[in-house]
Amino acid sequence: MKRREVIKNVALMLGGVFSAPTLMAMDNWENATKPNINGAAFSLTETQQRIVAEIAELIIPKTNTPGAKDVGVPAFIEMMLKDCYKTPEHQSFIDGLDSMGKVKFLELNTDERRGVLKLLEQETKKITSKTTPFWRLIKELTLLGYFTSEAGLKASFEYVQIPGKLELIKLKPNQKAYAY
Amino acid sequence: MNLNIKANKNNTFDAIVVGSGMSGGFAAKELTERGLKVLMIERGHEIKHIEDYDTAMQEPWDFEHRGKTTNLSAEERWANSRFWGLGSEEVVNHLTNDKENPYIEKRAFDWIRAYHTGGKSMHWGRQSYRWGKHDFESNAKEGIGIDWPIRYEDLESWYTHVEKFVGISGQKEGLEVLPDGHFLPAMPLFAPEAHFKNKMMERFNRPVTVGRVANLTQPQDIHIVLGRASCQYRSKCQRGCPYGAYYSSLSGSIPAAMRTNRLSILHDSIVAEIIYDEQKKRASGVRIINQNNMLTEEYFAKIIFLNAGSINTAALMLNSKSNRFQNGFGNESDQIGRNLMDHQLGSGATASIEGFEDDYVYGQRPNAMYIPRFRNWGNDKQAAYLRGFGYQGGASREGWNRGVGADGFGADFKQGLTKPGAWAISIGGFGEILPNPTNRIYLDAEKKDKWGIPMIVTDAAFVENDWAMRKDIIASAVEMLETAGFKNVTPYDRPTHMGLGIHDMGTARMGRDPKTSVLNSFNQVHDCKNVFVTDGAAMTSASCVNPSITYMALTARAADFAVKALKKKDL
Repeated sequence: MKRREVIKNVALMLGGVFSAPTLMAMDNWENATKPNINGAAFSLTETQQRIVAEIAELIIPKTNTPGAKDVGVPAFIEMMLKDCYKTPEHQSFIDGLDSMGKVKFLELNTDERRGVLKLLEQETKKITSKTTPFWRLIKELTLLGYFTSEAGLKASFEYVQIPGKLELIKLKPNQKAYAY
Repeated sequence: MNLNIKANKNNTFDAIVVGSGMSGGFAAKELTERGLKVLMIERGHEIKHIEDYDTAMQEPWDFEHRGKTTNLSAEERWANSRFWGLGSEEVVNHLTNDKENPYIEKRAFDWIRAYHTGGKSMHWGRQSYRWGKHDFESNAKEGIGIDWPIRYEDLESWYTHVEKFVGISGQKEGLEVLPDGHFLPAMPLFAPEAHFKNKMMERFNRPVTVGRVANLTQPQDIHIVLGRASCQYRSKCQRGCPYGAYYSSLSGSIPAAMRTNRLSILHDSIVAEIIYDEQKKRASGVRIINQNNMLTEEYFAKIIFLNAGSINTAALMLNSKSNRFQNGFGNESDQIGRNLMDHQLGSGATASIEGFEDDYVYGQRPNAMYIPRFRNWGNDKQAAYLRGFGYQGGASREGWNRGVGADGFGADFKQGLTKPGAWAISIGGFGEILPNPTNRIYLDAEKKDKWGIPMIVTDAAFVENDWAMRKDIIASAVEMLETAGFKNVTPYDRPTHMGLGIHDMGTARMGRDPKTSVLNSFNQVHDCKNVFVTDGAAMTSASCVNPSITYMALTARAADFAVKALKKKDL
């Protein structure tokens, strides 16, 4: 009911017209179920999943705020690849994981792993293929999964669900970005 | 021939309005407010204002795929998902399933559809501009297509009427190229945009203004009485607004018509045919097919307004054949389905902006800036093409996704992305497309949809004038951004078809001569005066500004005429 209260209060504050159906509808949204969407065949082995999790955590590590693993980014990446990407990207991702297997990524220490990723980042720039390369895929999905997760978003930004006004302001030192 | 034998009290109205979108909603409002009993027929399912905006209050993490288009959505919405973001789970369920409602692309056309109450008025970009005097005069001056049977002065008071009801935020500029309207307070330009505006005036004498947008910045009584409230600056309009802050048929015209107690709405009912009474020489009603149970039914009225959207309105007319109209309803001119126009979209330039580091914004502006047409205007004369284009676009500070393309990872990288990024700017052109009889839709001779109605074939493409204009849209965008002192100026040109502007129009044009046009100066079908067409199909040319308020103004004017004619027993 928290969201409902927030909206109700903002509405009252602004003196806006808010009808009973609106508030009823809000309850409906809160109870809304998500559609079940079947994607193309794509799945990762347990070892591949571990590599994905470790790389995601190196991109967005746990600090004084949650890290990629804390907010479920590894599973998110696999789900997104399955539901929203097609065979060329699937292959590109699996090829990338194979390379990580070849360098025995999971047996390296943290500094060595960082070294591998720095190299990977530089090497990726040389790729001219139309298919999104592995590093780019895992980076964009890690950032998307993290910065739009509830814990990641709220820890990183000033979350404003209903701004209620539009104002040109001056940025204060160290001010976080707004997220809506 | 089906005659009126099935006519009974329940199926007979003063007026039938086919379609509930931008112009259909307005037709229903204007006709009911003038005392008529109106039946509005919507082919799609019912959407209730606010209650059925199922994603409107969802938070970013509520979306399983965080707003990305899934493979399944892209397959089911194969046409809709060609437009930016329309395949997203934020909105996709409110757009038509193209797989279940296919059309045939002889030449590709990006046909964006929303078959439900309110139609595309639920999803529109809300940019609202009056046409200028030149827009009604250019065809005649340049010998393009046919002359409009009306002039700006004929629509002027109707624009005001529409603007007052819709609620349009904008800045008066006193420009002939972009006439001022009745505005609610304007939204602000952001600091780098204000800088851009000054530079453009200083260097090119080109005005720049903030977008004129159908979001309530200061609701008036006419809005409040319908339950519409002020914009909350979430900029999630495309999901449907729970505050009714942006205008749609759902938030505006349908509630207004409902208040008269004279509006009935029929959902899930595809109008397959206009029924022509050969003896009385007038349309007597329509035959519908229920999209769920396939049952057909007939409804009758004194007047009929066609507002199904340009392509579907033309298809309905072509499918309505009788002894009198063997080539389609009111199609003596053979112009129905032809002269399909749109605005070209998808080209312009982007740039990064140095400076303005202290400038930030609280809230999200559901709007942009607008650069009115400056080509083939005043002293400017382009040899390569006719007419012109306007730009829409704006500046914003980059978000966390700047990290995707940037080097780095780890704790500092993560921390850095929590701050607002640098300012960046993007502008894109909306270009006028000329009427061309070979750009058209028609009905397939054999293939039928699952309701037994002939399938629609699109057959249209850009021609030389469009490509020459597109080149200039890109070159001028680059020149303007560079002149403003912005960095990394990068042109863009997205491969596209006609249709992507979602401003399809022209398929049953107005004109003076029944031999070359379908509708007269009050949007009546030349050969059957009790049928009016007031959606985009009526347009004789396309201008380069967004068309919705022009459709609404034409609708209000035609409705006023129709009711007066009914009272005088002229119809």
